[in-house]
Amino acid sequence: MASLPVARLPRRGWGRRTSLFQWRQPAFWLYAVVVSITAVYAVGQQQIFHELSPSGWALSWGLLLVYGLPVFLAIYLLDLYEREPMSLVLGALVWGAVAATVMSGIANEGWGLVVARLGGPVFAAEWTAALTAPVVEETLKGAGVVLIYLIARDEMDDIMDGFVYGAMVGLGFTLVEDVFYFIAIFGGTTGGVLAGFYVRVISSGLYGHVLYTGLTGIGIAYFASRRGEATVGRRVAVAVGLFAAAVGAHFLWNSPLLNFFPASLDDLGDWLQFPVGAALKGLPLLVFVVVLVRLAHRRERMWLGAALRSETDTPALTAGELQVLLDPRAKRRSRRVMRHRAGVAAQRLLKRLQREQVNLAMMRTRAHADDAPEVARQRELCKSLRDGLLAIPGATPAAGEPSP
Amino acid sequence: MSSLPEAAPLPSPPHRERRWLPVLAISAVLIAVVSGGHLAADALGRARGAAVIVGPSVEVTPLSGWELAERFADPPGVRLTKGGANLDVITLAFAGSDADLLAEYVQQVLEPDAEQLQVSEQLEQVTLASGLIGSKITYVGLFGDVQAPIEGEVIAVVSPSGTGVLFDGWSPAGQLQFALDEVDAMIASTEIA
Repeated sequence: MASLPVARLPRRGWGRRTSLFQWRQPAFWLYAVVVSITAVYAVGQQQIFHELSPSGWALSWGLLLVYGLPVFLAIYLLDLYEREPMSLVLGALVWGAVAATVMSGIANEGWGLVVARLGGPVFAAEWTAALTAPVVEETLKGAGVVLIYLIARDEMDDIMDGFVYGAMVGLGFTLVEDVFYFIAIFGGTTGGVLAGFYVRVISSGLYGHVLYTGLTGIGIAYFASRRGEATVGRRVAVAVGLFAAAVGAHFLWNSPLLNFFPASLDDLGDWLQFPVGAALKGLPLLVFVVVLVRLAHRRERMWLGAALRSETDTPALTAGELQVLLDPRAKRRSRRVMRHRAGVAAQRLLKRLQREQVNLAMMRTRAHADDAPEVARQRELCKSLRDGLLAIPGATPAAGEPSP
Repeated sequence: MSSLPEAAPLPSPPHRERRWLPVLAISAVLIAVVSGGHLAADALGRARGAAVIVGPSVEVTPLSGWELAERFADPPGVRLTKGGANLDVITLAFAGSDADLLAEYVQQVLEPDAEQLQVSEQLEQVTLASGLIGSKITYVGLFGDVQAPIEGEVIAVVSPSGTGVLFDGWSPAGQLQFALDEVDAMIASTEIA
């Protein structure tokens, strides 16, 4: 891994924790007003679905929780070193589930009328979903990511943060949209809901709104966090380019182009054909986003390494511990080994030590001098934690050296 | 000219975050996206049209923004359209009840065209402005090569003189609710001799 000086990799807000509830931020009040108004409509819509099919509605939400919880955790845990504040993450999820879905419903209808007016009813029936929803929905979801940034500017200090917030907005959106489809389109019966779950979640759940808005979020975070590193033109170009990529992917998904979906689900062949058709349309975007996320991880590791390299000369961190910190798998392995050798208490202490060492990196990037009081205090904390760990019988080999 | 003692450089003014400007910009984007389509569609709309003759004894009057998109020959009918919403009005001589007419429409028109079709199980009774009573069902389905699901409501009316009239109001799924009031208003005001 390349060793870069800390000064060349500034992260202004690393380690700060800001909640959603910023009473003095106008962006918070816009967020609150829009979510409050749209929540009235959203609740009303869920009540209608519940009245139409109580069991189908409950089954829909039950199935979506089974899908949504792991996806939520996977997105949240993607940020390896600095997890985003939970209130902001949930704020993003709520924006997608409530504000973006309700406003999209109203907006799609209006722009659908324009398409039909200009293209006629037959054209509209085939193309409205492709021509209106991608621009409308990506804009309204992206607005939520921008609002989260405006509410807590320090929290979006790298593109990974943008992906996390964007993907959370997308997850909220897709959960509510899925309920709509299960009840209104697939009929709300047990069989209908299960068929809808197969079509929209099992076959295509990897390719939808989570990726689109994640991509938009990466662009917004790039624009916001690369001030001073990249020109305004480049930041705008990246943000607009990634938004356009999200809209383009959404357009392709909604359009009749490259459509290899079966017309109906009559036999086993139709059921098997559906995931293949979905992969054809969605897999390229998934690969693209995975590559971007891996690049963001690499950049985070570079930051951590650059911030902590000079700390290996202090009692706070050894060179071996730094190697373990930089490799998430090695970090998990070291904890397992510690538990095996010295028990659960030692494992917890090692986890705490590693967390405080990451916090030390964040403090170093914020502090004006290497010997700033808060940095010195953090070094002492790390040292005392290691001393405590080494005092536990059996802990010595795993604490000081990289795990086998 | 006396030289002034060199002043200490002034500290740079604190960075003022523009907190309102981006919020106003976001508000403008939200308003434009949410209401822009409706405003544009209204601008593209037309004034209330004249009555459209469907058949020898049936006349329907399009509301503002609705226009005649198509005429059908056999049986005679018209398609009125406004944006994604459509109202097909078909007339034919019919000897049975409105429920029979409705059942024939489902079996002979909707089902053959549909890849998937779900029709409401219960008939609902409706009363036109003229006092004629008809039956109504709703449906959701996939039709032909059209990608998006279609939802609709069908009302069948048979006049005492044996004139059967079928009204099929339909649109891409999720959009009908926004046009339903106007569809029902046009159906209710249809003149059937």
